[in-house]
Amino acid sequence: MNEQEKKKYLDEYKKEKEKGVPFFPDIIFKDTIAALLIFIILAALAYFVGAPLEARANPADTTYTPRPEWYFLFLFQALKYFPGKLEVIGAMVLPGLFILLLILLPFIDRSPKRHFLNRPFASISAFVVVAGILFLTIASVREAPPPQEAIVVDNAAALYAANCANCHGPGIDVPPGTDLHQIIAAGTHEGMPAWGGDLSTDEIDALAGFILSPKGSALFTQYCSVCHQQPVIASGNPVELQRVFDEGVNYPPHKDVQTANWNETVTEAEINGLLNFLAAPDGQRLFVINCSGCHGQGVGYNGTEEELTELIKKGGQHLDMPAWKGTLSEKDMDALSSYVVDPGQNPGGGTLFGQHCASCHGDKVPKAPDKQSALKIISSGGAHITMPVWGDILTAEQLDALVKYTFEASKGGGPAVGANLFAENCSDCHGKSGQGGPNPALSGDTIAPISSSEYLKTRNDATIRNIISFGQPDFGMSPFGAENGGPLDDDQLDAIVAFIRNWESNPPAEAPSASADVQVPTPTVAQPSLTGAQLFGIACASCHGSSGEGGVGPAFNIKEFQSGRDDQALFATISNGHTATPMVAWGDNLSFSQIELLVGFIRTLDPDYAASLIYSGRVSAIFEENCQACHNPQKIRGGWDSTSYQSSMTSGDNAPVIIPGNAADSLLAQSILGLGSQMPPIGSLSPSDIQVILDWIAAGAPEN
Amino acid sequence: MLVKIGDWLDERFSWREVWEAVFMRKVPHVNWFYTLGSATLFVAIMQGVTGILLTLYYVPTPDHAYDSVVYITTQLPFGWLIRGLHHWGASATVVLTVLHLLRVFYFGAYKYPREATWITGVILLLVVIGFGFTGYLLPWDQKSFWATTVGTQIAGLAPFVGDWILRIARGGRDISAVTLARFFGTHVWILPATLAALIGIHLYLVIRIGITAVPKKDE
Repeated sequence: MNEQEKKKYLDEYKKEKEKGVPFFPDIIFKDTIAALLIFIILAALAYFVGAPLEARANPADTTYTPRPEWYFLFLFQALKYFPGKLEVIGAMVLPGLFILLLILLPFIDRSPKRHFLNRPFASISAFVVVAGILFLTIASVREAPPPQEAIVVDNAAALYAANCANCHGPGIDVPPGTDLHQIIAAGTHEGMPAWGGDLSTDEIDALAGFILSPKGSALFTQYCSVCHQQPVIASGNPVELQRVFDEGVNYPPHKDVQTANWNETVTEAEINGLLNFLAAPDGQRLFVINCSGCHGQGVGYNGTEEELTELIKKGGQHLDMPAWKGTLSEKDMDALSSYVVDPGQNPGGGTLFGQHCASCHGDKVPKAPDKQSALKIISSGGAHITMPVWGDILTAEQLDALVKYTFEASKGGGPAVGANLFAENCSDCHGKSGQGGPNPALSGDTIAPISSSEYLKTRNDATIRNIISFGQPDFGMSPFGAENGGPLDDDQLDAIVAFIRNWESNPPAEAPSASADVQVPTPTVAQPSLTGAQLFGIACASCHGSSGEGGVGPAFNIKEFQSGRDDQALFATISNGHTATPMVAWGDNLSFSQIELLVGFIRTLDPDYAASLIYSGRVSAIFEENCQACHNPQKIRGGWDSTSYQSSMTSGDNAPVIIPGNAADSLLAQSILGLGSQMPPIGSLSPSDIQVILDWIAAGAPEN
Repeated sequence: MLVKIGDWLDERFSWREVWEAVFMRKVPHVNWFYTLGSATLFVAIMQGVTGILLTLYYVPTPDHAYDSVVYITTQLPFGWLIRGLHHWGASATVVLTVLHLLRVFYFGAYKYPREATWITGVILLLVVIGFGFTGYLLPWDQKSFWATTVGTQIAGLAPFVGDWILRIARGGRDISAVTLARFFGTHVWILPATLAALIGIHLYLVIRIGITAVPKKDE
């Protein structure tokens, strides 16, 4: 454009302006209408579509297909045409040149022509560019549709579709009271495989919940899955679940996260659906979760089903315990009360407990703080522990299932039968909780644990059933199935298999420490790593006192603390911490074996600990439990007989195995520490037991 | 009374002069396409307002970003509206800016004497794209995390300086808390300041030179 052209343009523009309209209000009016229209469109989008939000960013999830925002899609697509080293052209060079071209446009196109028909090259080029961008964007969307639906997936439904739908179709109609968890895990019925080996307990729970309440599963996906991932569902405990709905935003674990007020936004029917999904109306699971804490594996019950329903529903006022005073002799009551205070040290009470208490208490021995209070409760009876009012907590379906299961089980079905059969037929060789031991039929052979999750995961029920039925002649196990000449019929075999399978989801309390590399405490011998005492000093002393006398945290050197929980509970507390207190979850920082060491050390803080270091105290109990199967007068391995104090101290091929006051040189101490030949051969004693033996020897190995 | 106040203010601000120059100026007869520019300005202002409201609740750390966005969307009164407007407004800004650019292009409005207006406009488009790119990471969900991972990777392709750019953008090797802080800082401080300055220049030029008349067939 030369000066003349410029002047001409300015003159013409001036004329146009004079013919035109004032900016206010004419133009402003049009602009306002356009702005208003756009605002309405945007507000409508915000209302009807909303701003999307996917799951929280997970840097570990490499399966996610990344997609840029839609207005970058054309660039993203363009990159696909520049593979390998050429990528830089598509990513950098072309966009860079294009932007440069845009900026320099007024200097490149300097012709005075303005109407788009008068400058066809520019008009067509721009059209081609716009069309190209549109084409690339559309191509990108079509090639890989944005994974919008993947945002919320009903994982339980997916699990069902993958594993069950082939045979069962879209859904299964299950009669109330069915042990669904058991059926899925064990696959007992016709032609259905046992899923217990392939699916985790959580997954089976989710499946059972989905089958019984598909609606609940969908609701869970809708309301809860933003925070709680299926199938690792939030909680299977109906008491907690009911609290979520009762307390709404005040429910403590939900307090710090922003959740909806569940008690207001969800309808009654929806709550029932959700509860039925999360804690499937599956009698056995409900019993394990809700009842076994007090009742062990089952209760004996003689009334009708209706009465049982009422009992469970009303809770609180259920069967009062009879006043045993008068029924039992003073001596028996005395033995029983010692037994409930510490079953380990008073094994004599076990028989009495089995006779009089187990029909209601199952195999769960109630904990009493001291003998005096135990004696009082036993002699006076009454409602000593209040059962929750389950009618308020469980949904109708759950209650129904729980009653049916409890009722059936009390008549002799369920795991209780299996447990008894196992105790009669299997535990001599496999141990009470399937922990294994030296093979009595084959010298030098060791029977591996059969209750470990590794073992159970890798064998389905049919395999286990076959092993029991046919035996393992090569290893000295005789056939147990009736068809192979053994004592057990088909139902009994199934009961034992179900009992063994039950360990997978509920590992036995005294789980065998399968790993041989567990660090064991070595107070007087070599010290490969930190001892329990050192760990205690580092981790616990600042709150619980350097000798467990208490401080911010509770004291350990008192009877109430020590008798109030078993090793398992202590381990769990150390590992998981306490949400309500400053107690840290040490499981994050300490290893499994280190926590075991701590449990062992904390046990030594018991005020009665020193007094218990006598043969007639805890030592004989440990021997009886762990050594006497092989070291007894009949089967006298290594010449050592551990059945009495006298024989323990004097017998043995390398007698004496116990040198009073000198743990380091005692063969017994070396063996249980795994320094010589590992004893017991199936795996170490628990750290607290090892500690007891070592300290007992160091204290001179007294008898009384 | 109002007149008196107006007079008093005019003596001090000469606002009537500004009013005359900005609002009473004559403008050629134009069509509806000419509202695209002001519509873009409107959406930009709306983005500013909703953006400021969002920063009152948004927390730019990996621990809390996602939770704060969930809170804004589900708990905060009208939070869904504010976030929804901001989210869709982002797309609208890009669309309107590009449409405005096309209008200017096809009406030959980038030619003398409006070259400088055009250049500031192109830079404004880049700023808008920068807003989109940095804002995308802030909700800290799967989509934003992985899109930013790929986006910064592409920036890293540049010859010689690519690795350097990548590390500056991410504040390290990987997307981390530093990346989020950088993107947030850029999104709410650097880019808005740049945008405000450029819009100021752009509008000054529009008002000083005036908008183009619709070109005639023979032009």
